[in-house]
Amino acid sequence: MIDLRNLIYIELYKLFSSTRTYVTFFIAIALMLIINLGMLMEGEKIFEFLLESISEYFIVDGEILNGYLVTYLAMNTLWVHIPVLIVIIAASIFAVEFEIGTIRLLLTQPISRGRLLQAKVLAMVVYNCVFMLLTVLAALIPAYLLFGTGDLVVFLDGVQFIQEETFLKRLVLSLIFATISMIAFSSLGMIFSLFFKNTLTSILLSMGVLILSTLLQKFVFGLFSAWQPFLFSYHFSKWQLFFMDVIPYHSILESAGFMLGMILILYLISYFKFKKMNITQ
Amino acid sequence: MQMLRVEELSLHYGGQRVLNNVSFSFEQGRITGLLGPNGAGKSSIFKVLAGLVRPDSGVVSKNGERLDDISDLRKSCSYMIDSPAFYPYLSGRQNLQLICKILGREKDLEKLMRLVGLDPFSKKRVKNYSTGMKQRLAIAQTMIHDVDLLLLDEPFNGLDPNGFQDLIALLRQLNEEGMTVVVSSHLLNELEQFADAFILLHDGSIALDISKQDLLKLKKKVSFVFDSTPPEDALKLISNFGSFEKGIQTAILNLEPHEIATTVERLVGLGAVPVNVETQNLLESKYLEITADLLD
Repeated sequence: MIDLRNLIYIELYKLFSSTRTYVTFFIAIALMLIINLGMLMEGEKIFEFLLESISEYFIVDGEILNGYLVTYLAMNTLWVHIPVLIVIIAASIFAVEFEIGTIRLLLTQPISRGRLLQAKVLAMVVYNCVFMLLTVLAALIPAYLLFGTGDLVVFLDGVQFIQEETFLKRLVLSLIFATISMIAFSSLGMIFSLFFKNTLTSILLSMGVLILSTLLQKFVFGLFSAWQPFLFSYHFSKWQLFFMDVIPYHSILESAGFMLGMILILYLISYFKFKKMNITQ
Repeated sequence: MQMLRVEELSLHYGGQRVLNNVSFSFEQGRITGLLGPNGAGKSSIFKVLAGLVRPDSGVVSKNGERLDDISDLRKSCSYMIDSPAFYPYLSGRQNLQLICKILGREKDLEKLMRLVGLDPFSKKRVKNYSTGMKQRLAIAQTMIHDVDLLLLDEPFNGLDPNGFQDLIALLRQLNEEGMTVVVSSHLLNELEQFADAFILLHDGSIALDISKQDLLKLKKKVSFVFDSTPPEDALKLISNFGSFEKGIQTAILNLEPHEIATTVERLVGLGAVPVNVETQNLLESKYLEITADLLD
C-alpha cells in the first residue's frame, strides 16, 4: 500500500496551495498587528484606568505596559477569533473533497481510507502548529519592538506578577497547550466536515459548539457546575494558567489529557465513519 | 480467459434496488462495452469495483482469484468515474503530479498530456478547463498507474468529434498492447465499432451479455423505403420477414446479414424497387428491443 509520507506530503501540498490557508494566516497576523497598534495608541490610557483600582494598595514602579503584556493580551484572541480562523480550514478538509468531487479521484487510487484519514489529520496538525506559531510571533515580535520587555501583571484569579525572565518559557508552554486545544477544536470541525460533507455547515456547527460551550462555562452555579469538566472551553481556557505566579501543572495536565482524549475519540469516530461510508456522488 | 468475474452482485441505495444479483465477466484482452439506459446500474457497477460503494452481496475474482476486499482491485485497475473531478486551483499537470506522488511513480507527464491532447494546457488551472478537457485529463490519470484493466465510465462525454476519434484510437492502441478495457457509454453506434463484447444492463439486471461475433450473427432491422405501395407478391414476401407501413411506404424487415442483398434482388424482381435501404445498427436495435420489452 501507498507510503503514508507521500500522502501527508500531498495533503500539505493541497493545504498550502490553497488561497484560504493564506487568508487565515493573513487575518491572524493582521489581528495581532491591530492589537499592537491599538495598544500603542490607547494602551497608556487603558492601563491608567485599570490601575486606579489597585493604586491604593500598590506602588507601581516600572512600565506595566510592555511587550510581554501586549503579547498576553493578544493571546486572548484564543477565545473566539483564533478558533474561528482555524475551523475554516479544519471544516473544509473533507468537505471540500466531497463538494468538488475529488474524494472519488483519491479513493479510486490504491490507498486505504484509514491512511488517507491519517494523512489529513496529520496535515491538519501541521497547519495548527504553523498557524499558532505564526500568530504568536506576529503578536510577540511587534510587541517587543514597540514596547520592549518587562514584568507581567495579569488579572487572573486576583493579581499575578510574573517575572520578565520567566515569560518566554511560560509563553512557549502556553503555546503548546493552546495548540493542543486548537487541534482538538479542529478535530471537531473535521468530523463535522466528514459527516455533513459541507464546509459552511461544518463551520457553523463548530462555531455553535464553541459559543455554547463558552456560554455554559459562565454558569458556574447549581446544576450547571456539574457540566463544567465536559465543556471544551473550560479546558482550553487553561492556557492562561501558565501565567499564574505558581503554575498549577496538575490542573493543566488534566485538561491537556481531556483535549488529547477528545482528539482520540473524534479520530476514532471519524475512522469508523469514513471506512464504512459509501461515496455515491 | 476471464480477467474479472463478478458474481451475484446486489446493491441498494436508500431502499431502492440498484443492482439485482448480477453476474458477468470481462474477458482478458477484450474491449467490453457496458450499456444501458439512465439508472440501469452501469455507474453503480463501476463504483462497486472502485471500492467507492459497498455492495450488499457479491463476489469479485481477478484472474481466477477471489478478492476478499473488492477495493483491492484498485491495485491492478485504473478507473475513470463519470464527471471526473480535479483540484481546480492546481494545473492539469499538477493534478497528475499528485497522482504520481500518491502512486509513488515517475511518469513522463508531458508525453502523457500530449497523448491526450492537453499539452498546450498543461499549466492552465483546471478550473479553466472545459468538460472535454477534464475528460481528457481523467483519461491521462488512468494511464499513470501500471495496470492491466481499465474501467472507464462515460469517457466520451464532452468530447468533440476529434477528441472522440483520438480516444477510440488510444483505447485500441492500449488494447493491442494487452490492456483489458471496459467502457460504458450511450453511444451505441460508436461502441459497436470498436468493442469486442457488450453487456446491456436494464433496471439493475443483465439484459444481454454477448460477444461481437454473436451479435453479428443476429438478425438486423432493415427498412426499405418505396415511392409507392409495392405489388401484392412483394407485399407477401415482405410479410414473411416483417411488416409494411403504408403511411410512410416503408417495409421494416428482420433479416440476417447475408439475406439483405438477396431480399433486395427478390423485391426488385417482383416489381418493388426500394428508393432507400437503411440498416439499423445491430446493437441499437437490440437495445431498443430489449428495453422496450422490459418496459412492457
